[in-house]
Amino acid sequence: MSILQAREVSREYRMKAETVHALAGVNVSIESGEFAAIIGTSGSGKSTLLNLFGGLDRPTSGEVLFDEESLAPLTSRQMSRYRLASVGMIFQSFNLIPTMTAAENVSLALAFAGMDRAGQRERVVALLGRVGLDHRRDHLPSELSGGEQQRVAIARAIANSPRVLLADEPTGNLDSRRAAEILDLLDEMRRSEGMTIVLVTHDLELARRHATHQVMLRDGVVIGEERMAGGTP
Amino acid sequence: MNFRDIFSLSLRNLLQAKLRTVLTTIGVIVGVAAIVTMVSFGIGLQDNLLRDALGRIDLLTSINVIGPGADAMLAMREGAGDGDNAIGRRLLDDAAIDELRSIPDVRYVNPQLSFDGYVRFEGHTRRIGIGGAPLIVSDNPRFMNILAGGHFSSGDAREAVITERFLQRLRSKSIPRGSPPRQQGGEAGPFRQPPTRSDEERQRDARAVLGSDLIMLTLPGSGAGGAVFGIPLPAMTGFEEQQDGDVTPGFEEHRFKIVGVLKSPDGIDFQLGGNQLLYLPFEVARQFREGSSDPLRQMGEMLAGGSGYQGAEIRVADIGRVEAVKEEIRRRGFNFISLGNQIEEIKRVFLIVNASLAVLGGLALLVASFGISNTMIMSIRERTREIGIMKAIGGSDGEVMRIFFVEACLIGVAGGVIGVICGWGIDRIANLFANRWIAQQAGRAVRHIEFFSIPWYLSGGAILFALLISLVAAIYPASRAAKVDPIIALK
Ligand SMILES: Nc1ncnc2c1ncn2[C@@H]1O[C@H](COP(=O)(O)OP(=O)(O)OP(=O)(O)O)[C@@H](O)[C@H]1O
Ligand SMILES: [Mg+2]
Repeated sequence: MSILQAREVSREYRMKAETVHALAGVNVSIESGEFAAIIGTSGSGKSTLLNLFGGLDRPTSGEVLFDEESLAPLTSRQMSRYRLASVGMIFQSFNLIPTMTAAENVSLALAFAGMDRAGQRERVVALLGRVGLDHRRDHLPSELSGGEQQRVAIARAIANSPRVLLADEPTGNLDSRRAAEILDLLDEMRRSEGMTIVLVTHDLELARRHATHQVMLRDGVVIGEERMAGGTP
Repeated sequence: MNFRDIFSLSLRNLLQAKLRTVLTTIGVIVGVAAIVTMVSFGIGLQDNLLRDALGRIDLLTSINVIGPGADAMLAMREGAGDGDNAIGRRLLDDAAIDELRSIPDVRYVNPQLSFDGYVRFEGHTRRIGIGGAPLIVSDNPRFMNILAGGHFSSGDAREAVITERFLQRLRSKSIPRGSPPRQQGGEAGPFRQPPTRSDEERQRDARAVLGSDLIMLTLPGSGAGGAVFGIPLPAMTGFEEQQDGDVTPGFEEHRFKIVGVLKSPDGIDFQLGGNQLLYLPFEVARQFREGSSDPLRQMGEMLAGGSGYQGAEIRVADIGRVEAVKEEIRRRGFNFISLGNQIEEIKRVFLIVNASLAVLGGLALLVASFGISNTMIMSIRERTREIGIMKAIGGSDGEVMRIFFVEACLIGVAGGVIGVICGWGIDRIANLFANRWIAQQAGRAVRHIEFFSIPWYLSGGAILFALLISLVAAIYPASRAAKVDPIIALK
């Protein structure tokens, strides 16, 4: 069953002189429990597609479906609830709030969900334990390594138990060792918790190693798609 | 997101830029302190004027209800449709007095009983205004200024309380100009000579007459006389105190012992119906009045079937309730005179004054509001990425907006509270210096004056206004924060 689906999705950016077609009629279906990799060169529209999946953006035409339901009719408030609980996102630049400790960053996602203080504290401990950062709870992002920061971001992304984790080049700022650790963590979460992973990368090697489903983009168009064995659990 | 989390996020944001927050808040503090100081001065002025100056001579808490009089009663009796004249003219009898007493906030109602009578004292006989006084006169300003002695020992005592003017009148050799004397036997106008004698001299004079007798003269057999009190008719005049040649023998004499001397007010006497020079116990005076009123009046009263009292003085317990009591008296159909209307006039003037002062202070607060806007816009610029992150992980536009509104509220309330405290402090210091300056000018210790007044509605209103201004100042920045596009913010 497809958990995320793009149907004839186009995303145009109207500039003064021209119109940029970031995506042009993309059809992609991501099954529940997959580890999907979206591969393409820079500017091919990977991030644009991921942001549409993540509810940060809306397509110019076509529609995005989550769990077979279109996101198009959602109000902005409903969209924020979607981002809060249905999907989790991590980014190349981690995007932690620099003035908040690791625990506070994770706690913020729980606070947006309306969880009480005690619940937040308890859950933060569990989440940071899950990503192996028990000992770094009260550290500011600046006091953490890149890999550790990305783990905090992962903990925050999965805080409200989303079914899908969207990762936009999560290892772009990490050395290969840390990169491998992060991807192993994501893979492990997919296997143990049945989470769907959508990974944007231009690293074909990484994609080949972990992905069960590869989508190749070029100039906003899907130019190839491949499913491997061991995909849907 | 629950309020506690929004609150702590806002607080955290403010504390992150402490200097900026403090500077912004100082703007609000200055504005609020300006409002509080200026308006409290206006209110203080108003209070001093109303409570201290005017309230002290008890003018404004007094209402004089007027009875219709016999002629009006007759007219009313004969033609119910007599029109305007009959409207609102109720008989002021004992039942009416009791009714007036039952009105809330009325401290006392003293029916007015006054008449002219001939009184002999120290060998002189003069026609003067005589009034009946209640037995209990505590907190009745008319009887508070006692030069010597006290008040009646009982309601039917043959005792009299005289005024200083009684002595002046009885002892004066000259007959007041413009005879026949005015109806209430009064002297011309409320204006008096400024006192030329010291208080000690006046008191000594007053003490000298305590215990001596004065004699009221009535026509034989006229009304009350002595018979009312079960005392045999006193001896005819002429047997004693012959020295006063003005008195023709054949009058009834009634002796009263002087038990108190009232100080006549200096300067302007505003007391309505205050022309009595001599007071007798109320019931005693009532009997004499019946006996001594002129025949035409007696006839009128007989025709009308009793005309009640001429008037009644009502004292309102609280200056602020005067209008309400007046309204109630009006509603019950009584006629009255009151100088209290001026309260409304004064209040109106001060409303304008205070409003202008508030507007001046408000301008300072308005300037502060631009400071708030500016600070928040700057803070939002700096935190665009943070806002983008919050939205990306599920924060709604509303929640982002709320965080900034709460920030503005915190600045507004903190600035408001501190501003009120500062305003209060400025008031205290200014008051201290003002009093010191006055004492210096006067060259002696003077009564401490409170120039400022900060009622709860001023402090509460100022804080609320600061809060409101802050919220308004936050509208634009907060909506800008809510419109931050997370994709752009996170690039
Ligand atoms: N806000 C924007 N305004 C105009 N053009 C945009 C905007 N965002 C993206 N684009 C264009 O859309 C196209 C796709 O951008 P996108 O960010 O999706 O690429 P990408 O595949 O993620 O590239 P990279 O690997 O460099 O991150 C690019 O040509 C880009 O210039
Ligand atoms: Mg990208």
